[in-house]
Amino acid sequence: MSVTSKKSLTFPGGIHPPEKKSLTINSKIHTGFMPKEVAVLLSQHIGAVCEPLIRKGSLVQAGQKIGDCDAYVSAPIHSPVTGKVKEIALRSHAVIGRIPAVIIETLPAHPVKKGCVQFDEEFDINKYSVEKICEAVREAGIVGMGGAGFPTRVKIEPNPRLPKTTMIVNGCECEPYITCDYQIMLEWTKQILIGVKLAKKASGCSKAFIGIEDNKPQAIEMMETVLNSLGTDEIEIIPVKTKYPQGGERQLIRSILKKNVPTGGIPPMIGVLVLNVATCAAIAEAVVADVPLTHRVVTVTGEAIAEPGNYYVPIGTSIETLLEVCGGVTQKSARVIMGGPMMGIAIADLTTPTTKTTGAVTVITKEQMGMAKFERRETACIHCGRCLAVCPENLNPTRIAHAVKNNLMDVAKSYYITACIECGCCSYVCPAHIEITGYIKTGKIFLARQKKKIP
Amino acid sequence: MLKDITVSFAPHIGKPYSTRSIMLDVIIGLTPAMIAAGIFFRLHAIALVAACVISSMATEGICNLIRKKANTLDDLSAVITGIILAFSLPPAIPLWAAVIGSVFSIAIGKMVFGGLGANIFNPAMAGRAFLTASFGMMMTTWTVPATIDSAMPQISAANAVDARTQATPLAHSKNAQKAQYGAMELNSSTSDLFLGNVGGCLGETSALALLIGGIYLLIRKTISFHIPAAVFLSAFIFSAIAYLINSDYYASPLYHLSSGGLFIGAFFIATDPVTAPLTRRGMWLYGIGIGTITMLIRIVGAYPEGVMYSVLFMNSLAPLIDKLFKRIPAGGEPNA
Repeated sequence: MSVTSKKSLTFPGGIHPPEKKSLTINSKIHTGFMPKEVAVLLSQHIGAVCEPLIRKGSLVQAGQKIGDCDAYVSAPIHSPVTGKVKEIALRSHAVIGRIPAVIIETLPAHPVKKGCVQFDEEFDINKYSVEKICEAVREAGIVGMGGAGFPTRVKIEPNPRLPKTTMIVNGCECEPYITCDYQIMLEWTKQILIGVKLAKKASGCSKAFIGIEDNKPQAIEMMETVLNSLGTDEIEIIPVKTKYPQGGERQLIRSILKKNVPTGGIPPMIGVLVLNVATCAAIAEAVVADVPLTHRVVTVTGEAIAEPGNYYVPIGTSIETLLEVCGGVTQKSARVIMGGPMMGIAIADLTTPTTKTTGAVTVITKEQMGMAKFERRETACIHCGRCLAVCPENLNPTRIAHAVKNNLMDVAKSYYITACIECGCCSYVCPAHIEITGYIKTGKIFLARQKKKIP
Repeated sequence: MLKDITVSFAPHIGKPYSTRSIMLDVIIGLTPAMIAAGIFFRLHAIALVAACVISSMATEGICNLIRKKANTLDDLSAVITGIILAFSLPPAIPLWAAVIGSVFSIAIGKMVFGGLGANIFNPAMAGRAFLTASFGMMMTTWTVPATIDSAMPQISAANAVDARTQATPLAHSKNAQKAQYGAMELNSSTSDLFLGNVGGCLGETSALALLIGGIYLLIRKTISFHIPAAVFLSAFIFSAIAYLINSDYYASPLYHLSSGGLFIGAFFIATDPVTAPLTRRGMWLYGIGIGTITMLIRIVGAYPEGVMYSVLFMNSLAPLIDKLFKRIPAGGEPNA
């Protein structure tokens, strides 16, 4: 087949952590789950926080808009369930801390959304104008579902100053353990490809590439088959080498287009639009079926989970509830991570709700972490240069980390601390177990404070 | 089950190795040369290695006590310093001199800078330089391997005076140069050099054993190929030029490559991560510097052997080399 004959593309640097995807690789998406209570955070994206549109005690329908904002860089929020607003209270967000959330008690005996909407009709791209697509994407509250959560309307809307010519769809899923995008590619292939076509039309891109890591041959084959039946329309599936962080947008652009996004810049500066496969499926749902983004597939995984798998859950489900659905945690665990083990954020508050960007919940044990990492046994840097060899952005991580450690922010800046994408490769390979990425993240916060951006 | 969860920065997993396991790999890499030294120089070789290793570790332990720092002996770097120092000493050197060298290596070469990772010079080479400066005669008296003269009694410090001595192959080539007699007869003995059946320092006589250890380190990815490749290539090219200019006067490149400390230098000393540059391009320049300066000393300079001084010299340049080859982000210089 043409799939295997293509040579996988890649970028310099990167690492090969144990994939651990076998835990959930064969898990079909479990649908039909409905928690008793959801806590929908009012900020699930980069940009302005939404204002609640409902009051305590109001009844909300599934899909009803419950939060919105006039700012351009923002996205509305919808209720995933039919129920009664219990209160508007503070809940933990994995990144930005305690923020207001709408807490909704679900009413029983209401139909549950069973997965992505199926399109039986013949799809005709000409039925949808650019304006209509952008408006539908905005109204559905779609944000980048790969992790960053940037409002998708802002990304796909044509911008005369930064015209986009090439679109890249990210189906790499390079993080260990996670398989949610893989399952979506297998089960909701048609929706993804329709979303790709819609986004391609809206953004004015002439060409689209779908990058999938070559450890997912079934996904590549499935996407090829469905793409051929829908009409290729300048869309191409590109197998890329299995390597972390292949799914970083800068890395994926480097692999496929052999171009570099300027340091500190964004892909539109070189005319590129990058969207995740799950986002594309959401775009198709929003534009074709007028369904807002209220659910997403979450991989709940880790050796300590009784029934690891991919679950289609309402946004706002707490981690606690999710873990119960998966049969609970069977072994003594060390860390609960929102996301994968490489870039995910460890949480301490199990009531933290999932958001539009939560692709996985990983529970790892001491054994998986390794004792040195678990005990944070940091020894002296021996200047082995392994972090330099794996850095996908060609930086000098150890120098930056030690500059931050000694509070020499000018030195850190001179080694381009701002160019770091925080992928974690350097910390992963460090034989001295130095939290290089951690120091760099801390340094970035110091710098932001110097500029008085944040308190 | 979730009672003791903790939080920290991502990533939450790490490669299952440590500084200690890397150092252990280097020790394994040095084992073939240690066995070869045992074969060629018998008991005294083993006594010398043991003396250096034990005194290195004791010095590091005492220094840690004085500095009131946590014990760092378990990273095994002192063991490597001890072995490499022992390998770079003449077999007949008295044990007390070896102990002084080890103490200097660790205390002055490493611990005064702040311990592992902070030293500027390769500790073993610093110790050897100290011994060369202090005990010049002892450091240039070479006993022949037991395999050459089986009638010879076991070499030990006690009967070192009685043992047969000879010039090392490199001293031969130096003398050949001075006396202007043909280097032809030297060039026929390259295979003996490669196997190690010649006089010389304890660990550097058998290029074959060192090569086996070096290949092991390369396969394990404990060292990268850049520095050894740069050292060998530059040394080869430099000596080849000299050989082509006058093949009667200078030893052949193969003779130079397989003799003396070039193998141990390229695989085990120059690749010491602490004192080598961080960047790939820096590693090339560093290796080329070592190879070239070694050959410069051997061919033009007054000493027959040059690995030690070239390594120490390039050590001092390593931070500057890193500055020279500063890495620019993949996305180019940011617009401030």
